[in-house]
Amino acid sequence: MTTATTEYRKFLPEGIPSSQMPFWESLKAKAVKVQRCDNCGAFLYIPKDICNKCHGDQLTWTPISGRGELYTYTVVRRAPTPAYQEEAPYILAHVTMDEGFRMIAKLKGVAPEDVRIGMPVQITYEDVTPDWTLMDFEPAPAAAS
Amino acid sequence: MGRLADAAVAGVYQTKQGDLSARPQPGVWWECVRGACEDAGIAVGDIDGLIGDGPSGVGLRDMMPAPGLAELLGHPIRFHSRNYVGAGATAAGLNLAAYAVAHGLAEVVLIANAVAGQAEGYASANRDEAVAHMAKLSGPYEYVYGTTRVSDYATLAMRHMHEYGTTSEQLAEIAVAQRHGATLHPLSVHGHRGDITVDDVVSSRMIADPLHLLDCCSINQGGGAIVVTSVDHARSLGRHAPVAMLGYGEGHSHIDPNAVESLSEYPAAKVAAETAFGMAGVSRDDIDVAGVGDHFTIGVLMGLEDAGFCAKGEGGSFVEKGGTSLTGRLPTNTSGGFLSFSHAGICGIFTLIELVEQLRHEAGARQVQDATLAFLNAVGGAQQAHAAAILGRV
Repeated sequence: MTTATTEYRKFLPEGIPSSQMPFWESLKAKAVKVQRCDNCGAFLYIPKDICNKCHGDQLTWTPISGRGELYTYTVVRRAPTPAYQEEAPYILAHVTMDEGFRMIAKLKGVAPEDVRIGMPVQITYEDVTPDWTLMDFEPAPAAAS
Repeated sequence: MGRLADAAVAGVYQTKQGDLSARPQPGVWWECVRGACEDAGIAVGDIDGLIGDGPSGVGLRDMMPAPGLAELLGHPIRFHSRNYVGAGATAAGLNLAAYAVAHGLAEVVLIANAVAGQAEGYASANRDEAVAHMAKLSGPYEYVYGTTRVSDYATLAMRHMHEYGTTSEQLAEIAVAQRHGATLHPLSVHGHRGDITVDDVVSSRMIADPLHLLDCCSINQGGGAIVVTSVDHARSLGRHAPVAMLGYGEGHSHIDPNAVESLSEYPAAKVAAETAFGMAGVSRDDIDVAGVGDHFTIGVLMGLEDAGFCAKGEGGSFVEKGGTSLTGRLPTNTSGGFLSFSHAGICGIFTLIELVEQLRHEAGARQVQDATLAFLNAVGGAQQAHAAAILGRV
């Protein structure tokens, strides 16, 4: 592997089953897709084996808007490892996406004291190694009414 | 036979909680077993049932602890089962033990928990190693972003505050009440540090907003064990008032925190409590003392709400002014709980043992007067699995 991989000292995804790789590939392509149930139309995240609304088993990887609003958050000041601690304090966000499901990632581009539950946010992407891209959130302009 | 309430906790034992890294784990495990049997007045050789793990071992000894125990006791173990509900495993294990006794599958059932020695991962005496290990429990869709066990609960607390106006000072009341209990318990990990105030909690270092250091459980080692037998047998031993499980219920809801509607209210906790109260045929007002999973202060507040001791959103005012203290409306985690007594392994065993001591009227300076009924809500993960029990002095 490349030097970049050995230098990235934070956790990378492990044990991802091949059935869930389309999500990670969509991050790499910077066009996130999540599963959508063919039967009831629910968006599912994190990836599921069956739809947790109607129990249908026909799920299709579907592009999403990438926009949502902050449901809850925390500011991590005591991180899990030294590599994460270098970044601390950082904001972890649970976001209700416009499609009605929640996602978790870091929220960047805003100071901890300026974070407000309900604020509009959007997905951005970060290539952390040649193999893996992660998503983040950043503040978004308020939706046009 | 056949009623869970026909079984009773007859013996309990706990080590001093703290750093046991200098002692091999099996030695601590056996100390707990001997201690619980001695407390009950039962010979170690009378054990014929086991719930959960045996002393640490490798290969088959780890996978199948009952045969390993049987070869040392010199007779077959007649019942073994285990569950994986994290800290809630003890309450869930008590149900399995009571089931075995009530159905004649075993007469003396042991549940033991020992965390000691040069353990790796979550059982390590090294805080940094334990924190890093536990951070990865949540799975790759969370841990890549640097989540921790604290951040898991912090996001719940933040949402609860947003929806209901719960304050850091209200959460701090829980830690203050529990620390006082720990100062009255000689085996506690933090009691020697003395009492703390609400101001101490809210001015302690922030770990993950809005949870401060003193909102968080200890990371330590320690051991404890209980033995369960029939109520009649326990009574005939004449050592202590038998403590029976009058009601029991479980609720399991999710792993992925995105998969539940709300992060401030847990239907699974409600299901567990409803089942337990229904089986016992008692009401919330009948409960004298409680043990509620307290990895973080918010866990107690949400646990009391979801179990129905107050309306949703009113947990903050319930715990205010010492509501969970020894003299409050519902004394909770009176030994200090995970926050101040011990958070080691399947630490729900310590919560359970404290309730047993309360119901025996053997809790010393922590005694809740005339305690006859207790509520236990044991939590696994970040509110993902719940096991609720009603315990009674019988």
